[in-house]
Amino acid sequence: AQTATASDTAGVKSEHHERLVAHVLLPCSSFSCVTTLEGHENEVKSVAWAPSGNLLATCSRDKSVWVWEVDEEEEYECVSVLNSHTQDVKHVVWHPNQELLASASYDDTVKLYHEEEDDWVCCATLEGHESTVWSVAFDRSGKRLASCSDDKTVRIWRQYKPGNEEGVACSGTDPTWKCVCNLSGFHTRTIYDVAWCHLTGALATACGDDAIRVFEESSPAAPQQPTFSLAAHVARAHSQDVNCVAWNPKEPGLLASCSDDGEIAFWKYQRPEVC
Amino acid sequence: MLSGGGVGAHPAGSRGLGFRGAMAAASSGADMFDDIVMAEERFHGEGYREGYAEGSHIGVVEGRRHGSLHGAKIGSEVGCYLGFALTWQCLLHKCTDEKNSKKIKVLDSLIGMIRKFPYEDPTYDKLQEDLEKIRGKFKQVCSILNIQSDFRISTERSSLTF
Repeated sequence: AQTATASDTAGVKSEHHERLVAHVLLPCSSFSCVTTLEGHENEVKSVAWAPSGNLLATCSRDKSVWVWEVDEEEEYECVSVLNSHTQDVKHVVWHPNQELLASASYDDTVKLYHEEEDDWVCCATLEGHESTVWSVAFDRSGKRLASCSDDKTVRIWRQYKPGNEEGVACSGTDPTWKCVCNLSGFHTRTIYDVAWCHLTGALATACGDDAIRVFEESSPAAPQQPTFSLAAHVARAHSQDVNCVAWNPKEPGLLASCSDDGEIAFWKYQRPEVC
Repeated sequence: MLSGGGVGAHPAGSRGLGFRGAMAAASSGADMFDDIVMAEERFHGEGYREGYAEGSHIGVVEGRRHGSLHGAKIGSEVGCYLGFALTWQCLLHKCTDEKNSKKIKVLDSLIGMIRKFPYEDPTYDKLQEDLEKIRGKFKQVCSILNIQSDFRISTERSSLTF
């Protein structure tokens, strides 16, 4: 077993953020494999727990999304195999408080799924990106979704329920998701990940140009046409592609990032006083 | 109408040859040249029509062959799922405890989907979509029954991959 070595605290300070690098290796003694889920034909790209903790979603290069249910005896059972995407599925993420699942794919779309009559079905397809969608993230309310893509844009989608005041057409009882904002011109390469802070509402991106960017929604917010502005930009956050970013769910402004350079970095982000 | 206008502008008989006669000769000459000038276009059109007819015929034959091949593939795939599901349904019906009832429910769902699948209508617009749903349901069944979905179906070394 390896022992923990938290070293290399290289501090890069600037106005709104500071960087701490850590290579952390957990001791393995407290870690054991409980069960293995089989079914995907090849690489499994992403896995996510539903907020209830009773459902698990996985997605794979085999173009499918699987939903698993966990019972009291910790037995996992496949509840559904969804073949809605026409290409590899890169990422799955759950709605923060509902059993609504989102998936991002190489087929340039985001798809949403929910349970209907004992089976899971695709209830919305979000089309607009011009290349692979790498990741998706819900905001705190779950009414909005951010997606990031190889087309170097981040898109913000908003849910419109049937009979909405704005008059956005819905088919049947399913809500429609409409793109209300397109953040383009900020990123110079593919965007691998997007994270929406549920405490502050800040939106962070991990980009193939080695940079981390944070966007803030300009207030007063117009829900139909929100605008986001670049609040922080660390050009050389890592020495190679940034693959993933994650906000700490308890501590506002604490961001973790990981990169092809083999490092995990922690960032302290402070919201600018006046946008 | 062009010759009519000409007659009005230049009175006939002012020269040796009557104007009408000259016009007639010129127009028949134009027709002759027309035949030559337009030949390429005409033959092109004729060729196109003949080629189109022949191509349609060959296309129908080829399409028919492709369709029957592709249809047979789908038929054998879906048929295999149905046989598999019915066999397991039969096996599981012997003891219906709680664990089995869940499996039977998923099997019933797969059988229901296959029974609803419209084989006889190749123009059904959700054919591919429904087929993907059946494939997904079959994978779920395999997962729940704890069977590898790429199992070999018979003693022949033919793998169940479509």
